[in-house]
Amino acid sequence: MKMTYKAVVFGSLIILAAVVGVVVVLPYVQTNRTTPSEIFRLRSGAEAAGREIYIANGCVYCHSQSIRTIDWGMGAERIAQAGDYLQDHPILLGSERTGPDLSQEGGEHPDDWQSAHFTNPRYTRPLSIMPAFAFLGPEKMGRLITYVQGLGFKDADKRVQRQKKWKNAAIKAYEAGPEANVKWLHEQIPEGWRRVPNPYPTRAAGLARGHKIYQDFCFGCHGPIGDGMGPAQPYLYPPPLNFTILKNRGISGGILYYQIMNGITGTAMPYFKRELESEKIWDVGNYVAVNFINQTDADADPKGIDAAYEP
Amino acid sequence: MTASPEDNLQSHATAKGFVLTSACWMVVGTFMGLLGATELVAPDLTENISWIVFGRIRPVHVNIVLFGFVTPGLLGAAFYYVPRLLRTGIYSEKLGVVTVIAWNITLVAVVISLCLGYTQGREYAEMIWPIDIMVVLAFSLVFVNLLMTVKNRQEPTLYVSVWYVLAGIILTATTYSLGNVIWRPDSGALVGIPDAIILWFYGHNVFGLLLTPLAAGVAYYVIPRVCRAPLYSHTLSLVGFWALLVVYTHIGTHHLLQVPVPTWLKVIAIVDSIAMVIPVMAFLVNIWFTARGRLGEIHADIGGKFVFTGTIMYFFVSIQGSMMALPDVQRVTHFNNWVVGHAHIGVFGFAGMISLGGMYYVLPYITGKPLYSRLLADLQYWLVLIGMVGFTVVLTIAGLIQGNAWLNGETVYRILPEIHPYYVTRAALGVMVFVSAMIGVVNIFATFLYKPKESVS
Repeated sequence: MKMTYKAVVFGSLIILAAVVGVVVVLPYVQTNRTTPSEIFRLRSGAEAAGREIYIANGCVYCHSQSIRTIDWGMGAERIAQAGDYLQDHPILLGSERTGPDLSQEGGEHPDDWQSAHFTNPRYTRPLSIMPAFAFLGPEKMGRLITYVQGLGFKDADKRVQRQKKWKNAAIKAYEAGPEANVKWLHEQIPEGWRRVPNPYPTRAAGLARGHKIYQDFCFGCHGPIGDGMGPAQPYLYPPPLNFTILKNRGISGGILYYQIMNGITGTAMPYFKRELESEKIWDVGNYVAVNFINQTDADADPKGIDAAYEP
Repeated sequence: MTASPEDNLQSHATAKGFVLTSACWMVVGTFMGLLGATELVAPDLTENISWIVFGRIRPVHVNIVLFGFVTPGLLGAAFYYVPRLLRTGIYSEKLGVVTVIAWNITLVAVVISLCLGYTQGREYAEMIWPIDIMVVLAFSLVFVNLLMTVKNRQEPTLYVSVWYVLAGIILTATTYSLGNVIWRPDSGALVGIPDAIILWFYGHNVFGLLLTPLAAGVAYYVIPRVCRAPLYSHTLSLVGFWALLVVYTHIGTHHLLQVPVPTWLKVIAIVDSIAMVIPVMAFLVNIWFTARGRLGEIHADIGGKFVFTGTIMYFFVSIQGSMMALPDVQRVTHFNNWVVGHAHIGVFGFAGMISLGGMYYVLPYITGKPLYSRLLADLQYWLVLIGMVGFTVVLTIAGLIQGNAWLNGETVYRILPEIHPYYVTRAALGVMVFVSAMIGVVNIFATFLYKPKESVS
């Protein structure tokens, strides 16, 4: 084959045109007819403005918005559909998950948790490597939070409403004083759980594991000595629980376990059931009970048959 | 070195301009990478300095390495070898110098706009519309200059390197415009899934239609010259060239295998990703058989050494790329540092190495004197090689840890402490690469400035 410059230039352009026809134009014709998914709704003006801030700061380089069939983590309750993206220009699927997927982030946390987290992510998540975004200032950060709270559209709206409803109740209980607050908190836990003591004995190894979990997950809000004065505290209302005043107030291993597992929706307390398995939750609960509450029901009756590893 | 009569008749101003551009921006690009890597290790080190927040530094790093370091280096070599292969002068050195200046202004605009948060938010297509226009214009000026040189040529035969550089430039100008949705200046994007499809069509073609053809052009020139051997096969050149254009352009959707895009499009992307073996091996067999039995000559020439190493990296990155397009593999490798490792072996190990090799090969010819220091160049070679291979190893390990842990149901947050040591190692390797860029810039500037003890006319 004789290669002239015309063969090279026009030949390669013709090939490119043919390929664009197949892999860009044909898919465009097909995907352009996508209909809205069942959760789809239009973004508000404030959410769209927040999305601009999300784009300007490159959030997309660490956070995907693309839940796959094989995912387990945040947002994994719902697989992404083409009909979710109908107003996204640009689309922000992302290519990297240095941080979690955010497709369904709306309503996972209340606004005050979001502002503590954006001010410095390590305030609420001690192991996070996300940059601090305090430089945005309150106004822009507010817009960014509005956008994030709308991720998930109609599903997010339901979660945000739930957060608001329970935040009002939690604030009322907090403002009624410690006695009433503890009573209210306990009432939100199913009866059976409240009566369950921690079934495992207090041992040095378990406390060491609990200490590690506490530092990695709890420390930012509840503080190094469990008094609720962690770095996130100034941003949160109701503030993080002060464990040191809970002695003789009816705290059981089961109550601690349930609250760590399920979180307290409406407050900044997230659920940890996706991040901590059973042993880790019992261990950190007992660590809090032993070190901060100064009272534990570990190994108390009724406890059933001892686990095989116990000496 | 043997200077041809044509060499002495020319100023080589364009080639010089592109080589200096590449050397300087390599320092900037690698520094941005090092800064980003450091922020992943110590996020509060740069707390609340908005313009260097990770999400802004990362696109600066990627775009500056692509368009500031690798592409200008490959073009610097091309502006030497194209006239040389055609036995004619470059069409217009004046136009070339204007192109180099426009190119540098564009790069400055890229850094400033991205650091200030002006971005279209689309990976590899971040630049805002005015900069898109500048980029397309710069590529067009390069194309005009090279095409007119081809038209004015004395040598009737067009060598394979010339095909690659002509096709690479015109196709990149075209796909850049398409991928940046240049007809929509406000957003630079389509809406929804079609946006993802066109973005990754373009994103993958940055490698397929820009870096690969330009790097192949340099390799096809440098390796036979260094080996003093004729190219192994004209037929393989043809196969490699046309297969690259046909196959590489189809595969962008392999970035979207886990996204709701049409299944038939995924099938095309996967099949053609495997078919990439054809253009890749046609090129590599051709180069490697040309060099067969002549590794000593390659080792003796610093340019040849960089270029040949780049072809080995091309083998690895291409085989890895074909494998990564398989859905089962991607269940583990997608969304994590494996892909970052793959990008480094491709852009830096393959195209970057060949870019450096092309520059070192042409430097004596365009300056008319030997390289200032072979020792410094060798030092840079080893720092780049160790740094780049090191990146790939640690990022691949980190990616496997992430991907397998996620498949096993662990959250992103839980894995962060596990990959921390690899992030630390990556940042340390980044120091080596940044140092290598500084050594390179010193060596290249010194070559321009020093006066050789004895004349080499």
